[in-house]
Amino acid sequence: MTTKSTHAVELRAVTRRYGAGERAVTALDAIDATFAAGTFTAVMGPSGSGKSTLLHCAAGLDRVTAGDVLIDGTPVAGLGERALTRLRRDRVGFVFQAFNLVPALTAAQNVALPMRLAGRRPAAGEVTAALAEVGLSGRAGHRPAELSGGQQQRVAIARALVTRPAVLFADEPTGALDATSGAEVLRLLRDAVDRHGRTVVMVTHDPYAAAHADRVLFLADGRVVDALSGPADAEHIAVRTARLEAARATGAAGDATSSGGRATGDAGRSTSDNDSAVTR
Amino acid sequence: MSAAWAMVRHRFASFAGTFVAVALGVAVLAASATLQLSSKPQAPARYDAAPLLVLPPETGTNDYGEPERPNWTPSEATDLAGKLTSLPGVTAAVPDPSFYIQRLIDGKATGDPQASRINGHAWSSAALGGYQLAAGRPPTKAGEVAAAGTTPGERIEVLTARGPETWTVTGTVIDNGHHAGFFVADSVAFARASGVPLIGLTLTGDDGWVAAAARALIGPAGVVLAGADRDQLEPGSVSRIRWIGAQLLIVLVALGAFATVFVVSSTCALSAAQRRRELGLLRAVGATPGQVRRMMYAETTLIALFAGVIGAPIGALFAPLLADPMVETGLEPPGFAATWQPLALAGAVLVGLFAALAGVVVAARRASRISPLDALRESAADPRPMPPSRWVTGIASAAAGGALLAVMPSLSNASKTTAGLGAAMLLITAAALLSPVLIVPIVRLLAAPWRNSATGMLVREGTLTGVRRVASTAAPVLATVGLTVLLTGMIATIEVASGIDEAAEYPVANLLVPLNTPGLSEAAVATQSGTSRLPTRVQVTVPTTTRGYDGAGLTGPESSPVGPAGGVGERPGSEAGAGAVLHADTAGELGVAAGATIALRFADGTRAELPVLAVDPNAEAPIVLPRALVRAHDPDALTDMVVLNGPATEAAGAESLPVATYVQREVDDEGRLVDLFLWAMISLSAGYTGIAVGNTLLMAVAARRAELRVLRLAGATRRQILGVLAAESLLAVGVGAVLGAAVAAISLLGIRAAVESELGQAVTLVIPWTAAAAVTTGCALIALVAAAVPTLHRPTGP
Ligand SMILES: Nc1ncnc2c1ncn2[C@@H]1O[C@H](COP(=O)(O)OP(=O)(O)O)[C@@H](O)[C@H]1O
Ligand SMILES: [Mg+2]
Repeated sequence: MTTKSTHAVELRAVTRRYGAGERAVTALDAIDATFAAGTFTAVMGPSGSGKSTLLHCAAGLDRVTAGDVLIDGTPVAGLGERALTRLRRDRVGFVFQAFNLVPALTAAQNVALPMRLAGRRPAAGEVTAALAEVGLSGRAGHRPAELSGGQQQRVAIARALVTRPAVLFADEPTGALDATSGAEVLRLLRDAVDRHGRTVVMVTHDPYAAAHADRVLFLADGRVVDALSGPADAEHIAVRTARLEAARATGAAGDATSSGGRATGDAGRSTSDNDSAVTR
Repeated sequence: MSAAWAMVRHRFASFAGTFVAVALGVAVLAASATLQLSSKPQAPARYDAAPLLVLPPETGTNDYGEPERPNWTPSEATDLAGKLTSLPGVTAAVPDPSFYIQRLIDGKATGDPQASRINGHAWSSAALGGYQLAAGRPPTKAGEVAAAGTTPGERIEVLTARGPETWTVTGTVIDNGHHAGFFVADSVAFARASGVPLIGLTLTGDDGWVAAAARALIGPAGVVLAGADRDQLEPGSVSRIRWIGAQLLIVLVALGAFATVFVVSSTCALSAAQRRRELGLLRAVGATPGQVRRMMYAETTLIALFAGVIGAPIGALFAPLLADPMVETGLEPPGFAATWQPLALAGAVLVGLFAALAGVVVAARRASRISPLDALRESAADPRPMPPSRWVTGIASAAAGGALLAVMPSLSNASKTTAGLGAAMLLITAAALLSPVLIVPIVRLLAAPWRNSATGMLVREGTLTGVRRVASTAAPVLATVGLTVLLTGMIATIEVASGIDEAAEYPVANLLVPLNTPGLSEAAVATQSGTSRLPTRVQVTVPTTTRGYDGAGLTGPESSPVGPAGGVGERPGSEAGAGAVLHADTAGELGVAAGATIALRFADGTRAELPVLAVDPNAEAPIVLPRALVRAHDPDALTDMVVLNGPATEAAGAESLPVATYVQREVDDEGRLVDLFLWAMISLSAGYTGIAVGNTLLMAVAARRAELRVLRLAGATRRQILGVLAAESLLAVGVGAVLGAAVAAISLLGIRAAVESELGQAVTLVIPWTAAAAVTTGCALIALVAAAVPTLHRPTGP
């Protein structure tokens, strides 16, 4: 497979194993996946299925045991810690479930942090605009402790987007929020894709959240076991999730995937490798 | 970096330890440096009215690196002075012979013994200080004297190198409170002094111009000192006092810097561990490892500069308050005052900054290795309490400290204390670095009795899972207990040992020694039956070289001048066949053998040629001469002591003592100073321990609020929580004390072994239990308060 510039992130046979010997855990098992530029992908799966690990490896926060990760066409494998950090700073945005902001810094300073770390002075109005984009123009001078959870996540999104990254990763960004704040965060992510052409990869276990995506990848035991593309409604996703869980419980994963063969769609350009993983 | 500033502002609490440690360190450094810089050599006030001073030429340096300037003879000095007087702009050129004199009151010598060695002067030299007579007339013949604080006509008792004398006061001197001493007729002063060490010039012309003219005139016959160069003439007795003071100040500076590095490194390590998540987040959003490291340096720089700016003025304010106590304890000369020393303050701030940066190096390196994924980890469980680098530095410090201890016995007495202090610091650093390994077994041992109570369990498990935290609390306790026990023990052991050593030197039971005098007068020695040596300084010239040597004039017809074991048989001889006996080392250096002739220049500047009668490896001095010859050419020489072989005869300024008492007194005298040093060091390090223990515990308890809240919810009462915290703190202090005592004990055993092998005799090990117990108790009290305050302060937490 050749590297295409339309792929914001590409995973090639990525394996991530924790520990060694008897107690080794294979969190990711030779996963292939591509995330096309300008798309919104949701990653779902039961707890412990490797969702977070997938995100960390794809974002260059964690090293892979085997395989290749390409961020915006650049292979991560050969990079030293400094070069990798720079790549992350310039091309990747990240929103965690919580603790996204440096407590000592104000909202505006947090947003400006990646630029400052890159040795750049934010252009006049750049930070203000980013905060306005997430509806927090009035909160620029507030510290994280003075903001609600939802507001903190919005600041985190503003920070993740302000550098115009190739891809934004979000690990359960709504997991710690109430419904209203969660919806606001999801709307912002959707807007980032629709209005600014950003690429978003979001881990979630909430079908309602996943319904905002263009494509849904289902993970189980470190493998992609299913994919749904095109705007799917929450109910549909929930049914698919339930079916996967049930199939896993009975140990017959093949049944569950039979009806999900259509893993490729207009929005999600999943690869044929992915299809084979799904239909195996 | 602005992020650093924001961090500092936001998390001031976690930087408070660094702040206080650096502020205190800088204050100590600033005060010490201010005192040190204020303590400058100064020309004696006696020369206040003499802008130019002329010294004999330098012939070399003595064993201490000081210039050797053999005195002029009276006639040389008078000739030179005559020439100098003829220069335009010179009012008078006055030779200044000085001699030993002390006033006797009720038969007892008074005044500072060392200063009295140059307390007698020629009347004409009064002009060099601008002194005049308030009443009476100048002294003109033997037995007459002018001095401050006397009245003309009064008869006073004085003690000189000859013995006690009664003189008549002819005039009262106005000496402006300079303690100018006693003035006698010029001829009397020339006769009593051993040569002339200086010619002073009073001027009407310009200093610089006359100085240049004087140099051109006399050429190599003398050295002309003007302006600040005159300050080289500070009397040796004053220099010595200032030197002792400087030693204490150096120790304080070294210890202050060490303690600052120590405390800063332990607080920084703890605070970096507590900020793991935040630093991980910074890494995740794009901070490179280098940026994290630089941020920590930037934070520390800010804190250290801020602390320095606070600490330095505090030090400057304290310095003048310390001046008087230092004079009283004999660490600075009378009249010493601290002056404004901006350089000292700037230097202190700078050293404080570097000490803080040195302290943060390890923590910053560790922090830069934090992974971005640490941002996702809730708990700050101790990851790898012993990284390889810590093993390496720990073991390296231990090895270096051990090596220093091993070479200590072979060092000079003066450097022994410094070496001991260095070894102590290294070993303590090693113990602190390696402590995480030792903490687990020690805690299991110490906590064993309470393992079945709920509190006991909580304490034990809390301590075992927070090894780093315990190590941080234990480290300063370890340092103080270790330093206290090691230093006091080391010094006490060496004192006991040197007592044994010195007592072995004198086989006889009784000594005649000086009593508040710098030495024994001729009269005091002449009336005793026993042996003594009359010390002098001679310059020896052989065709190849000229060198200065300590000479000794030996007394007593019965005592062989070459010593009982010499066996050479020949003695320096009577006046007629006078000659010198050289120590084998001296002969070797000069390259001469028995039978050769050497040219001598005596203390009074006169020259003579003497045959070398013998070369003796056991000679009592580098050059042994007939006593009468020494006396003739060094009229102002004083005898150190007489080894008595019969009952002592009473003499002014002398007393008779058994050898043991004398040795003990010498040791005690030295001990008094050593105790002062120790006291200063221990209180300084105890102060630091207080800060460090308090700060570490405050930080640790504050960071564990969430955990404590869980405990509260689980049904623990406030008292139980306080109990757990108190017990944990005490456990940490206990661990520190045990480790500190262990380090000290090991080192002391090493020292004793070294001393024993040197003396070939068993030495008792002195272990200062009380000092150790006091320091530990102090630490425990501070720990209890520091652990209790945050819990009482916010009973339920945020
Ligand atoms: N740092 C780690 N060390 C060891 N095992 C880990 C680590 N992180 C994750 N794992 C294991 O890898 C698997 C996948 O974890 P994760 O990616 O966090 O799952 P998810 O986010 O889907 O819940 C799990 O079995 C988990 O226990
Ligand atoms: Mg997860």
